[in-house]
Amino acid sequence: MKVKSNGKKYLSLVTLYFSLVALLSSCSSPGEHIFRKTAFLMDTLVTITVVSATKENAEKTTDAAFSEIGSLAKLFDFFSPESEISKINKNAGISEVKVSPDVIELLEKATYISDKTGGAFDVTIGPIERLYDFHKKIKPQEEEIRKNLPLVNYKDLIMNRDRSTVFLRKKGMLIDPGGIAKGYAADKATAVLIKNGIRSGIVAVAGDIKTFGLKPDGTPWRIGIRNPRAKDGEDDIMATVLLSDKAISTSGDYERFFIEDGKRYHHLLDPRTGHSAALCKCVSVIAKEGYFADALATGIFVIGPERGIKILEKLGFDGLIVDSQNQIYITPKIRGKIEFKRTVEQYHFS
Amino acid sequence: MSLKELLSSTTSADRFLFLLLLLLSLSGILFVKEVLPGGSTVQIEANGRPAYILPLDKDGTVTVEGPLGKTLIEIKNQRVRVADSPCSNKLCIEQGWVKSGTIICLPNRVVIRVGDHDKSTTVDATTG
Repeated sequence: MKVKSNGKKYLSLVTLYFSLVALLSSCSSPGEHIFRKTAFLMDTLVTITVVSATKENAEKTTDAAFSEIGSLAKLFDFFSPESEISKINKNAGISEVKVSPDVIELLEKATYISDKTGGAFDVTIGPIERLYDFHKKIKPQEEEIRKNLPLVNYKDLIMNRDRSTVFLRKKGMLIDPGGIAKGYAADKATAVLIKNGIRSGIVAVAGDIKTFGLKPDGTPWRIGIRNPRAKDGEDDIMATVLLSDKAISTSGDYERFFIEDGKRYHHLLDPRTGHSAALCKCVSVIAKEGYFADALATGIFVIGPERGIKILEKLGFDGLIVDSQNQIYITPKIRGKIEFKRTVEQYHFS
Repeated sequence: MSLKELLSSTTSADRFLFLLLLLLSLSGILFVKEVLPGGSTVQIEANGRPAYILPLDKDGTVTVEGPLGKTLIEIKNQRVRVADSPCSNKLCIEQGWVKSGTIICLPNRVVIRVGDHDKSTTVDATTG
């Protein structure tokens, strides 16, 4: 009897042991997996990451989100004559143009951020933007800038939500939504994913990133912040930050630029001077919504680090700024949450 | 036999052996997951579709087809580069050799990612 009882006991112990080991070893794969898919939309690379139980569901939902971004791209495309933005631009100083709710919403958000940044971010920057070609190393004469600057003013962008119309007051004005459209698209694509039952993921429209939910292992998403002066890809990530239900965007003077006579000409133009803003090397903004992070990163880049950090704090957002002198500024709330790859002193950004 | 009955019928030696086995198994799991290297890979996508996943430590060249034509990718000495591309701006070629991160050729829709994407230290996305 005793032998039988001991046998039963050890059998039960062995069963318990294997059950525990199986449970522990399966902890990192609880049935949900991370799926990632890319597409070329809005003239850039869009990567959507979702947590899903099946590949089929991940494919279906990411395709719906890509489709949303594709639809927005058609409305906002600065270069396509068929886009609603181009129609507004063509009718500048002539007549108001009936537009889709998304165009009104985007422009309302853009003008709101223009107000918050004192015009440092301005969606009507188009007349100045078109004077530069950073790939062909073309920059305008001072006279051309002087002539076009009066056409840049978000206060001359008139929206009527009731009639769903937009009007640019002066002939020659041009809306270029490039500084806000990608963040806005990331927000809208995220909404589509959530509506389709996805509880966790990332929408990255180039460097404009929106995160939601947690990874299958219960940790937040780890987002890398690019080193503004990375060499041969070795130190391309300057720092990482853990995010969930937050958006992050970065504006840097290394995206589209050329150097002439030792001076860097880049695409982040000051709407008040028509020249490349010179106070920062890169600005990352963390906000609840992608459109805010996107547009504010541009605006703060123009404003500069000291006032920029104060504006971020006032708005309740977080951010990291590398200024032109390689000084790093971080909002107090995320100090300690940003993990630098090296000590700050080891960076030589110039 | 319930868990309570089972535990009350075991001796201290039984419980010690059980815990020891459990610890050994756990350390085995951790060893496999964390210590054994996964190896860096080169992940290549063309036109939005995965084309190749190649080890970074094996030298060689590979060609992928984009909308403009063929992009030639070279892996050498644990680095990767675009050796030839039909795009007009050649920015992907200008980027040169990379050991980590991403090379993107927007015109020919080719994306090359370098890194071990299974490791928890790898970033999930990059801003900038």
